[in-house]
Amino acid sequence: MPNTKLSGNDAANTHEETTSEVNTHESSHLSGNYQNNQAQTKQWQRLSPIAILFFAMSFIQGLFGQLIYIAPALIIGYKQITENPTLWLPIVITLLTVLAISAVLKFYYFQYRLSKNTIEIRAGVFKKSHTNLPFSRIQNVKLEQPIYYRLTGYACLQLDTAGSSKQEVKIAALPLAFAEALKKEILAQHEKHNNEDCSDDKKPLASTLSTHDTNLTSAQQETLLNTRSVKDLIIHGVTSNRIWIFLGASAPFFDNAYAFINEKLSNYGINLAAAFDLNTHSWLEVGLYALTITFLMMFALTLFSILGSVMTFYGYTLSKVGDKYIRRSGLFTKHEVTMRLSRLQMIIQKQDWLDMVLKRINLKFEQSGAKLYGASTQALNNKIMVPSITPEQSLQLINEVYPENNLSTVNFTAISKHFLVRYLAYMLLPLFAFCQSTLLYTAQYELAASLIVPFVFIGFLIVMRWYRWGYASDEHFIYVRKGYVGVDYYCFPIYKVQQTTLKQSIMMEKSQLATTRFILAAGTITIPYLSQNAAYQLLNKTLMQVESSDKSWM
Amino acid sequence: MHSSTFSNQLIDSQTLPDLELLPKQPLSSRYAKTNMVVILVSTILTILVVLAVKYQPFLEIPAHITNLLGFAIWLIAALGFIMIVYRRLADPLKSYALREHDLSYSAGLVFKKTVTQPIVRIQHIELKRGPIERKVGLATIQVFSAGGALETFQIPGLPLAQAQKLREFILRHKGSIEHA
Repeated sequence: MPNTKLSGNDAANTHEETTSEVNTHESSHLSGNYQNNQAQTKQWQRLSPIAILFFAMSFIQGLFGQLIYIAPALIIGYKQITENPTLWLPIVITLLTVLAISAVLKFYYFQYRLSKNTIEIRAGVFKKSHTNLPFSRIQNVKLEQPIYYRLTGYACLQLDTAGSSKQEVKIAALPLAFAEALKKEILAQHEKHNNEDCSDDKKPLASTLSTHDTNLTSAQQETLLNTRSVKDLIIHGVTSNRIWIFLGASAPFFDNAYAFINEKLSNYGINLAAAFDLNTHSWLEVGLYALTITFLMMFALTLFSILGSVMTFYGYTLSKVGDKYIRRSGLFTKHEVTMRLSRLQMIIQKQDWLDMVLKRINLKFEQSGAKLYGASTQALNNKIMVPSITPEQSLQLINEVYPENNLSTVNFTAISKHFLVRYLAYMLLPLFAFCQSTLLYTAQYELAASLIVPFVFIGFLIVMRWYRWGYASDEHFIYVRKGYVGVDYYCFPIYKVQQTTLKQSIMMEKSQLATTRFILAAGTITIPYLSQNAAYQLLNKTLMQVESSDKSWM
Repeated sequence: MHSSTFSNQLIDSQTLPDLELLPKQPLSSRYAKTNMVVILVSTILTILVVLAVKYQPFLEIPAHITNLLGFAIWLIAALGFIMIVYRRLADPLKSYALREHDLSYSAGLVFKKTVTQPIVRIQHIELKRGPIERKVGLATIQVFSAGGALETFQIPGLPLAQAQKLREFILRHKGSIEHA
């Protein structure tokens, strides 16, 4: 629908800029497209009324967040509340009215406008805000279709920007096709921004119209790179802890669930407090109880994790259009994340110990600012992650994204054994000796003996840490391997580095060792305890490439 | 394809810039002195406050708290002394270096650290001057990159004129800021 509108307005719009004869196809298409949107939304515009539903839903979500605090009171007073309709009816009615009014007001005061390369948003009922967001500053465009939008053909458009201040804009309820067009527009703007050498002039209008269609179709050619079946997602649920996705979604029902379980258990005559009473039961009995419960918990957690995995990644597709990678997935709320190749900062290939057993890999394409969000559902939705793929698929994807990389063939150099000396000899052993001597001195032999197990385990982890940690580099990339039992591989183009650090303690200086850190927009990569020469070589090479490269990091 | 424009001709390795041979410039001598005075004054002031509490005539203080206060005075004095000794040794080691394309800052007594910030990756610069820094004519230069707030690069204790020159140099540097 918007497409016809777009081309219809083409002729009406003339450009202020001077037109030149020599032009590329690309730029003419961009300018044409850009013109259209400008024509369509020069004026301040409201969203579709369906957005009221969205604002109402976010209000309810916010309310549920608050409800957790008063939930215990509600449960205790449950009976009283149900028996007194005069008490709760007004409250519910007031709440519903407030909900309706706030949603309508929010809708009424939310206005947007597209002007030259910029999206402007006015919002807020009491606290007014006016956001001015140039397309070139938008980091990430995300389309989201909540379940209640599925039938209406509308979508939420979320625009993220990178920067010290976190700035996010969410436009609820744009027609899906228009949102897609706008997204294309914003991404096209980047292309233009990045190809500054290319001719930026506009083509005469006639040819704009003629090339318009062909470019549009070529732009829509999507190549599918990867899909994930439900089986893959179940494997992913088992190997990765995706439980918090599920827990996050079901947080409002926690109290109910707890009350329900407690009730059921007591129906079967199980009293948790009594079962663990050491006065009435032997050590063995309690131990078995604990073991059973742990297994049950593990089973339930795994089940929840599988649910979480399916919820986020259902119908997973990773595809490519031009230099953009698009991830789509989601069972209830469909997420679409688009990333331009130039925005990619680092590839992470993760394999936990369970992944190693099952021969699966989690591949992550890290964009900048990912760490800003921390470990939240949001972060996962903003990242392009390919869950639980086979090593062959992973290799294929990595080579597709960075054809020049040698991650699979490169030889890793191990970090120095001094790493072990430091953590084992200077930290773990003295701590162990101290604990043991105090325990033996106070004659707690049993505890002293059982303490050996965790210390041996930590020691094992330190040794594995050292064994896994390695680095390599070639002409364009730095590779880092690390992990404990599982292995993670990090690979980043050298010119993406933002800042470098070299660290050396006096001890390390004596043994000619150093620790280097590479700060990227997607996070920091540390290589500890490598030889001083190698460290300086790596840093000199990095700085040289960063400073001589004219490529933009984003 | 995406790094095909990059050329990498063979260069005589003797002429390559080396971080190891960075000529280091010391901070202003006023920086270490100011720190010393600040620590000394704040230690003495804290001790005076504790003393005032201990010997004030208005309130009766239980004996064990008076003992504790006596101990606190010694503790504060010791901490102040340690800090002065540490600063005395560590401050002169702080240095910075400006090359054509990057800015480095080195510091550390036991754990030595050199941070290098390529100028092309700088997003914005700030000169920060607290009341004490203003009094003694010093400035701290802060440089932000996309590496995040935790990785903010900063050089303290620069004479104001020098800090301003540094900022000018970075702003005029070809290729910086415009990427941001």
